[in-house]
Amino acid sequence: MKFLDSAPRFLFFTGKGGVGKTSLACATAIQLAEAGRRVLLVSTDPASNVGQVFGVSIGNKITPISDVPRLFALEIDPEAAAQAYRDRIVGPVRGKLPETVVKGIEEQLSGACTTEIAAFDEFTALLTDSQIASAYDHVVFDTAPTGHTIRLLQLPVAWSGFLEAGKGDASCLGPLAGLEKQRAQYNAAVQALADGRRSRLILVARAQNSALREAARTHGELAAIGLTQQFLIVNGLLPETEATLDPLAKAIYGREQAALAAMPDELRALSRDDVPLKPFNLVGLAALRQLLVETAPQPDAAAGESVALRAPSLSDLIDDIAAEGHGLVMLMGKGGVGKTTLAAAVAVELARRGLPVHLTTSDPAAHLTETLHGSMAHLTVSRIDPHGETERYRQEVLRTKGAHLDAQGRALLDEDLRSPCTEEIAVFQAFSRVIREAGEKFVVMDTAPTGHTLLLLDATGAYHREVARMLDAKGAHYTTPMMQLQDPKRTKVLLVTLAETTPVLEAANLQADLRRAGIEPWAWVINNSVAAARPRAPLLRKRAQNELAEVEKVATVHARRYAAVPLLEEEPVGVERLLKLADHDP
Amino acid sequence: MTTIHVFDPALCCSTGVCGVEADQALITFAADVDWAKKNGAQIERFNLAQQPTAFADNATVKGFLERSGQEALPLILVNGDIALAGRYPSRAELARWAGVKEAAETAQGSCCGGKTSCC
Repeated sequence: MKFLDSAPRFLFFTGKGGVGKTSLACATAIQLAEAGRRVLLVSTDPASNVGQVFGVSIGNKITPISDVPRLFALEIDPEAAAQAYRDRIVGPVRGKLPETVVKGIEEQLSGACTTEIAAFDEFTALLTDSQIASAYDHVVFDTAPTGHTIRLLQLPVAWSGFLEAGKGDASCLGPLAGLEKQRAQYNAAVQALADGRRSRLILVARAQNSALREAARTHGELAAIGLTQQFLIVNGLLPETEATLDPLAKAIYGREQAALAAMPDELRALSRDDVPLKPFNLVGLAALRQLLVETAPQPDAAAGESVALRAPSLSDLIDDIAAEGHGLVMLMGKGGVGKTTLAAAVAVELARRGLPVHLTTSDPAAHLTETLHGSMAHLTVSRIDPHGETERYRQEVLRTKGAHLDAQGRALLDEDLRSPCTEEIAVFQAFSRVIREAGEKFVVMDTAPTGHTLLLLDATGAYHREVARMLDAKGAHYTTPMMQLQDPKRTKVLLVTLAETTPVLEAANLQADLRRAGIEPWAWVINNSVAAARPRAPLLRKRAQNELAEVEKVATVHARRYAAVPLLEEEPVGVERLLKLADHDP
Repeated sequence: MTTIHVFDPALCCSTGVCGVEADQALITFAADVDWAKKNGAQIERFNLAQQPTAFADNATVKGFLERSGQEALPLILVNGDIALAGRYPSRAELARWAGVKEAAETAQGSCCGGKTSCC
């Protein structure tokens, strides 16, 4: 494995959800520890399952992995980090200021912005802490800094000045204002990331066009902040030997090879390792030791019993959705589980039945919109582009609220509109506009990956509380977007998952988060089910068997109702193929 | 030299653009403060959500919070004495307290010249 050659101090694994980052990061950490190094494995994923992989409870403190000498693990829990941050601010005034005032401060500090910055703070501490440096030879991060966190490293010039000065008239820094002392730490972290002798980024992808495009985007974003030492791992490749054994395996092999052949040039330039698909689940030490070992072709062709999964189809779910005549259908789940595809499948199936449908996505990687646009009666398609919406919000605020300001005042406002928080507000406003339509037609919404959904709910909740406070006083009648999301008559949330341990666990965590927000998911959809596809190739049959226990868990423990969508021979792009996803038992 | 201290309610940020709806009063006031400072005024703002100790350590502010609650913020102190509460001052008021000449600025400045409370 090339990515392991003379490994530097910091190794970052990044990629979409479900591509196998955690397994690869764990396997790497084990390998380095067994080679005699002292290793700290860190997860920055709010839904970390590093603990589950090793069968150890880890959490927000460095914990030794007893089965592997010299290996230690830490799960940065953003919620716990945010709580610690709140305590740091509020602690000194508790008992000094009235209790209601203290509660008000805590409420203001409970937003997604605080959570993100607090987690970022812990992350940078690991890169710069001298105790960590002397105690460990390697720090392996499961999930690199992406998206939002990068923006924090690129604060507008005026803010850097503010932070360096240590105080002043707070510009729109939000919770950053309390962290001015961390400025030196941020600078040191940026330097560590930009130093190729200290930091290496490993982009993990599956051999799929969308995953590879996403990897190319991350490559560009992180190279721009100086993380230039990059490697690529293509994970879970179906071995060629399988391809001869059944049409599904042949189709998958062909698809994967075509995706690799069409890989973006910037990825092609990177040093690359291919990791073949394994017939076993990547949980437990024995399985992880196998992952990076280049094994001979998989078991004999006779192995693997045939599997017949009996599960409701997507079409069964859509029957119930269609009965209402209109409403909001939201697809939620971690990145990489196929939300966009399923949102499109639900939308085209509803439109096929002659119902008016608006399909909208906030996923920057969504490509189905182009495929579908204007190609079907009763269906309209739109995209909430976070960058476009933010720009629109800025212009709108400058035009209205900034109208009477002089040039200086407008410049100040313009600067503040670069706040890390405005994107959330802008996307929330676009989201509210769209869901208002659900009163008379179907609105099918695909939500962008990781964390984003929860940010959106958070903004929705904050808005609801604000409106409620103003209107309750007047005794007025009102409906906020939050009330709409909580009303099962108006909104149906479909949780999308794969029939694998980690994605099911992540979906269950998301369900718990939604319930805390007063939203009860309506159904679960198991996407890309190998078992539902009834494969004949032995490796696929083995995987199909592994799926059954997960499907059982979804059906009996997690979901009120569910459906399984089979892995298809052809990539589900275009109306015809999308309609196949909703099909009853083929 | 006159010192103006502004004690803001718990805000995400002082212009309010991070709020669910951008607040006109906050946007206007942020611009006015910027203007007054550029003209030599000494103004400092404290955000309840970010600097609560500044509220707790000032007896006047602490007493005000105990009596009137956070809903009564913002509170503006001029040289330590309460000058205004419950709304933000206009540019004219800031100018008067700080002894800054408003001059030609008023014409194109905020909507509230003089002592009106339209903001």
